[in-house]
Amino acid sequence: MRLRKIPAAVAACGLAASAMATAATAEGRHASGGSLTVAGVIALTGSSDFEGQNQVGGLYPALYAINKAGGVLGDKLVFKGVDTRGDPADALPAVQQMLATTSNLVAVAGPDTSSAPTIVPVLNSAKIPMMAVAGESVYDRNTAPYFWRLFPPDAANGTAMTLWAKRKGYTKVAAVFGTDSGSQGDKPGVIQSMKALHLTLVANVDLTPSQPTYLSSVRKVIASHPQVIMTESDATTAGTFFGELKQLGGLVPIVGTEATFTSPWLTAVKGALGTSDFLKDYTGLITAPSKTTPAVKAYQQAVTAVKGQEPKPWQSYLSNPFSITYYDGMVSVALAMVASKSTKPSVFNNAIPSVTNPGKGKMVVYTFAQGKAALAAGKKIQYVGATGLIDFDRWHNSFGNQEAVKSAASLKPISLGVVTAQQIEAVPVKGA
Amino acid sequence: MWSTFVSAVGFGVVLASIISVAAMGFTIQFGLTNVLNLSFGAVMTVAAFVAYLANSHGVGGWSDLAIGGVAGAALTLLLGRGIFKPYARRGAQLFEMMMVTLGLSLIIDYAVQAISHNNIYQYAVLPSRPFQLGAILITHTQLIIVFISIGVLVGLLALLRLTKVGKALRAMAADPDLARACGIRTGQIVVVTWLLSGFLCGLAGVVYIINTQSVGYTTGELFLPLVVAAAILGGAGSPLGAVLASLIMGIVTEVVSAFGSDSYSTVAGFGILVLVLLSRPGSVRGGQAGHTQLTL
Repeated sequence: MRLRKIPAAVAACGLAASAMATAATAEGRHASGGSLTVAGVIALTGSSDFEGQNQVGGLYPALYAINKAGGVLGDKLVFKGVDTRGDPADALPAVQQMLATTSNLVAVAGPDTSSAPTIVPVLNSAKIPMMAVAGESVYDRNTAPYFWRLFPPDAANGTAMTLWAKRKGYTKVAAVFGTDSGSQGDKPGVIQSMKALHLTLVANVDLTPSQPTYLSSVRKVIASHPQVIMTESDATTAGTFFGELKQLGGLVPIVGTEATFTSPWLTAVKGALGTSDFLKDYTGLITAPSKTTPAVKAYQQAVTAVKGQEPKPWQSYLSNPFSITYYDGMVSVALAMVASKSTKPSVFNNAIPSVTNPGKGKMVVYTFAQGKAALAAGKKIQYVGATGLIDFDRWHNSFGNQEAVKSAASLKPISLGVVTAQQIEAVPVKGA
Repeated sequence: MWSTFVSAVGFGVVLASIISVAAMGFTIQFGLTNVLNLSFGAVMTVAAFVAYLANSHGVGGWSDLAIGGVAGAALTLLLGRGIFKPYARRGAQLFEMMMVTLGLSLIIDYAVQAISHNNIYQYAVLPSRPFQLGAILITHTQLIIVFISIGVLVGLLALLRLTKVGKALRAMAADPDLARACGIRTGQIVVVTWLLSGFLCGLAGVVYIINTQSVGYTTGELFLPLVVAAAILGGAGSPLGAVLASLIMGIVTEVVSAFGSDSYSTVAGFGILVLVLLSRPGSVRGGQAGHTQLTL
């Protein structure tokens, strides 16, 4: 009889400990003496570790800029990495441990695409605001109050790619996407937008990641005579596929998703194609960043200031769209704390749109320091970030224009043109 | 339809050539030592990086194959003598040793990841133009890879059948105790095995990156399942079996990819492995019939 009670007692103790930890996380922000923790919940190791590099590439500069301006209500922000390994099975215990052991946790950058379905409900229950870069359409109509997305949904990126292809006069398109969930996310947007814009899909090829060759798939693409290839896959797969495509004489212009404009992908494909073909044939559609606003300058200055901390090569984070998005997300969170005069997430979470969205009588600010000073002077602010205008909708989504860029040899983006948010929304995409 | 099929078979032969060099190395070592060496892929990666470094320092062209092979042989011998043998002396059996090799694989992979800063590097030995070989569009580089594979098979078979060392290797693979009783210096033969399988492992790493034209820290790790599958499918210890198994897997993979979806091509390749294991479950036990001991 007594033995039977033991598991129940252990479970009760566990639940109680967990509840106490969650309570400590949610309420006891100032227990650690002047520092508030921002956790990066993302793949730091494993095959998706580049996501972690993209994230810290933006978070380190954000924390530098915030702390340099005196921090938030007298507290400094510190970073804590929580490794999901890109796998929900690893992410859940890591996040539970984080919640149980981090008493001064105020916000999370992430979670990543693959672990978001598992982790978002957990963090939402713990009342921890999340600044996520997960493109899945399930978050287009997000209802979790602590989830925020400063990033275009995958479908919007796909639509922008198709609009760009049409603008360039292409009518025959091959879709080449990796079979991993991240790569498949943009595909429905591409396919449905092509139907809406009357482009012809001549080949629809899925690539199982990291095979030694893709010769039959390459032949399929060549035989379909596309004018352009729309693509997303991991870097290794892309390097092999496009290398073989070039070797077999089938190279045509490539339009890549936002995820292709990252250092590993660009390096792999540049290596496979050779610099001249790569510079000539590759275009990426990314969150419009390149108009040089004071926010962009501030971001780049912050990256340069922490270049020793940044992953290598640090220069690639000067223009990495994911890093810039995380930077803006964290600055927005910090300004919301200042605006609400609270570091308690349940208080400042609701203030996030009030410091970013446009509004009458608001003062436009481009940096945390400017925003903090304006708030101290009693003004209402609109933070226009390095990604441009931030305007969260009722589903906590904000995305602006998309920009078509080619890559310089140094992997910096060179603007080719803009696809506006209005143009994207005007495409009658069904089912994406 | 016919030209697509022929073309897919041709591509399958290229894929098989890439797999088979590694599979021959793996099966020689597995057949003789009974160690299911999961660090094989990590050694491939290291050898590929050594070849890349040599290439980027001006030691160019096809000599990279030899450099990668020597690097693979040296590292494999180091692991075999420095790690596997001491573990075996302490009583590690098949499963424990497999876990040791798995751990070792992770250590090497993460070390390469750290040193390489996670980057993927271009490795273009010979940019070659495609040409039509019947219905098959192929490059000179791919054709050379096929010939390398054939050359390795012929060389290995000649070594095993025509030399004293080869006969000793076969004797040990068949029955190590009897081979020892017959006066064969088994310790030396194990060293030869490590060197031979390591050389082929390194060579395979370089062949792989010659085809993909890039090298990254996941190079060998991603390749390993195909190599292990081909080695097991062909029967442990049999280079010819490994090549035939590679051919079956390569051709099935490419034909399914050509006529269906690439998503199912790897599934089909491994489906064959499952069918073979169902019919020949003993093939995972290594080459020594009835023996489940490590020979180190």
